[in-house]
Amino acid sequence: MNIIKTETFKTNLYAIFLTVPMNKDTVTINSLIPAVLRRGTEKYPSQLEINKKLEEMYGASFNCGVDKMGDYQVLKFYIEILSNKYLPEKQNATKFLEELVFNPLVENNGFKREYVDQEKENIRRIIESRKDNKAKYSLDRCIEEMFEGEIYGLYKFGNVKDLEKIDEKKLYEQYKKIINEARIDCFGCGKELENIEIPVRNSKENLIKNEIQKHEIKNKEIKEKMDVTQGKLIMGLVTPEEPKSVISVYNTILGGGANSKLFQNVREKEGLAYSAGSSYIRRKNAIFIKTGIETSNYKKAVEIIKKQLEEMKNGNITDDEFNSGKKLITSSLSLIQESQEDLIAYYFDQKLYDENLELNKYIENIEKVSKNDVINLAKDIKLDTIYFLHGEE
Amino acid sequence: MKIIKNNKIDESVYIETLENGMKIIVVPKKNTKKKYVIWATKFGSIDNNFIEPKTGKEIKVPDGVAHYLEHKMFENENGIDSLYKMMALGLDANAYTTNDHTAFLFAGTDNFYEGLDELMNYVQSPYFTDQNVEKERGIIGQEIGRYDDEPDWKLYVNTMDCLYTNNPIKLDIAGTVESISKITKEILYSCYNTFYHPSNMVMCISGDFEPEKIIEEVKKRIKTKEKNEEIKRIYPKEQKGINKKQKEANMGINMPMFMIGYKDELEQCDDVVKKDLAIQIILNSLLGKTSKIYQELYNDGLLQTSLDISYEYSKTYAHVLIAGESTDPKKVYEKIEQTLKKENVSEEDFERSKKKIYGDIVTEYNDVEEIGRMYLSDAIKDINSMDYIDKIDEIDIEYVNEILNKLFKENESVLSIVR
Repeated sequence: MNIIKTETFKTNLYAIFLTVPMNKDTVTINSLIPAVLRRGTEKYPSQLEINKKLEEMYGASFNCGVDKMGDYQVLKFYIEILSNKYLPEKQNATKFLEELVFNPLVENNGFKREYVDQEKENIRRIIESRKDNKAKYSLDRCIEEMFEGEIYGLYKFGNVKDLEKIDEKKLYEQYKKIINEARIDCFGCGKELENIEIPVRNSKENLIKNEIQKHEIKNKEIKEKMDVTQGKLIMGLVTPEEPKSVISVYNTILGGGANSKLFQNVREKEGLAYSAGSSYIRRKNAIFIKTGIETSNYKKAVEIIKKQLEEMKNGNITDDEFNSGKKLITSSLSLIQESQEDLIAYYFDQKLYDENLELNKYIENIEKVSKNDVINLAKDIKLDTIYFLHGEE
Repeated sequence: MKIIKNNKIDESVYIETLENGMKIIVVPKKNTKKKYVIWATKFGSIDNNFIEPKTGKEIKVPDGVAHYLEHKMFENENGIDSLYKMMALGLDANAYTTNDHTAFLFAGTDNFYEGLDELMNYVQSPYFTDQNVEKERGIIGQEIGRYDDEPDWKLYVNTMDCLYTNNPIKLDIAGTVESISKITKEILYSCYNTFYHPSNMVMCISGDFEPEKIIEEVKKRIKTKEKNEEIKRIYPKEQKGINKKQKEANMGINMPMFMIGYKDELEQCDDVVKKDLAIQIILNSLLGKTSKIYQELYNDGLLQTSLDISYEYSKTYAHVLIAGESTDPKKVYEKIEQTLKKENVSEEDFERSKKKIYGDIVTEYNDVEEIGRMYLSDAIKDINSMDYIDKIDEIDIEYVNEILNKLFKENESVLSIVR
């Protein structure tokens, strides 16, 4: 168990992460596991009993879900509870979390059928409702196109076709396999923390290999039409694997915050968009540029964005752009210690990728980056995929 | 200075009202590096008709002015945009406009006083030109376009349209492309001079501060020292009862969304904190995750996640909203309405809900931003957020069921659906 001691919060946050390599055959079935686990345990066989217990624990909250981290799929389980000082009576939150993850309700060598059927239906709806959130959908679609045929191109909930094939027995088998073989990380963040105990396992095999799947440049331009007032333009860039600190600074100068090239040029100079920015996916060596524009401005916007990439390559970065970009990263990194979820996420990522850098060391590395480092790196950043979700012209 | 201490949760709040009428609220937090300040004027999208204090003239402004003004406040005579300047200092700076206020804020770990200089300078020095007002029209037009594509927003606006006949809360906060085309620098100055006077403003600060010291720092930076007359806002008279029962919009989404609204009578809002808590207890007991109806709806596949509930209150409106997503929103609506009409809150549910709500309130004190936002939005409504933690103990089940009767049993509800 990893302990993060801090006096900043009124609550303690505990987490259990089960990490497996993502692949297309298991992505769907794995995404169903947290959804079914939260329906009932041996001791608390229904949601009603689980929720009553949480409310009795002075509004403790349990959260679970599935995430994509690089080429891994992570099943995440959290419980947040008031720290002892503010609890009128002492509670045992980690026992409850252990119960939810490791002691599910089992009937005839399978999960409860009713729960599995209902949660299959729920996930089917999530998959089918992907288009409802246009901003998220367009980013997901760009990732899918850019990483087509690769692990990272998989959608974290999988697909409906594979979902249909799952029953309560198969799901329980897969659950047992994961409990036995997944990498398990436990975290506690707060004060006077309790311990989390993991059941004894009989497998010594570690499924996790720290390799990022190789990516081939796709050079795609995809346009998708939908009933939207505002078009969503996403552009995927490929970066080298290292040095990540320099790429972080490159990304912020390009599209992090209001002083960035994208915000200044796409929004302020041309008035084409309300928002324009970019984000760096460190574990996949990719940067995604995101902006919302009128459909008829597509060509113009792409041109202006490409011009910003050229400017970076040509070394046209002002001291202001460079300094404020760096400042933006270091100050947002220093805010990690102000959120329990962010603290746990930071240290989990560091552990998973065997880097184990303390937060202040990580910030120091960013401080060291020079403008020349960024300019030298810029030529190695390549445009990969342009995706545009648009309405009528 | 007023000091309110709460030993149960180890928090104190310091409230100072300056001579010019401005209120400053400080919630000190040890063991935190993040500092947060939010400064707001009681000027929102519903304040579109008022008497200009200087001239005594009645003024009607185009819809969306408060929001337009928020955008333009960052502009300075020297051409430097304050938002960018603050971001370059490593501060997370922002602004937003609601129905009843406009707020300017920043959070950060370093450079707090440089940020405070900039914040208090730009809010107190408007600089509008024909040209810079014109430039903003395209950007705000895009922002309006973005809202048009957001089903949540449509759902909310339509609920307001069902609940209210004349109240300007029905209007889009940012206005429409048509209404903002009429906004000029003269209109912006008139609104600025009326509403951005310290007597109409509140500031909340949270972080590791000595309260007296930070209040002095704020005072030093205030430009207007004298008090202003009260602003006369003119609101259309709102009729009793709802405007229309139901409204549906089609936005081509896969999972329909719904919002149920119950309009509250303003004259019945004497103790809003107590009432808000009673509403939370009622809705948690009867519709929350531990309720019979929620389990039924979940098992029938009619609800996937718990319902969102909120009680929105100001001097001109008050209503309860219940929102969620369902394949069959009408059926869910019928069940919810029936439950609220027939059921009462039991002793067991009452006690458990109180525990949960106590936990929720204490958890709000985890983050200086949460604290600042909470104290500010409550202060705009003349509420002190600290009251919540005391009043949760004072509340009794009779009062809760009395509110249930008045608000949910004798009252007509409305339904907004987006498909």
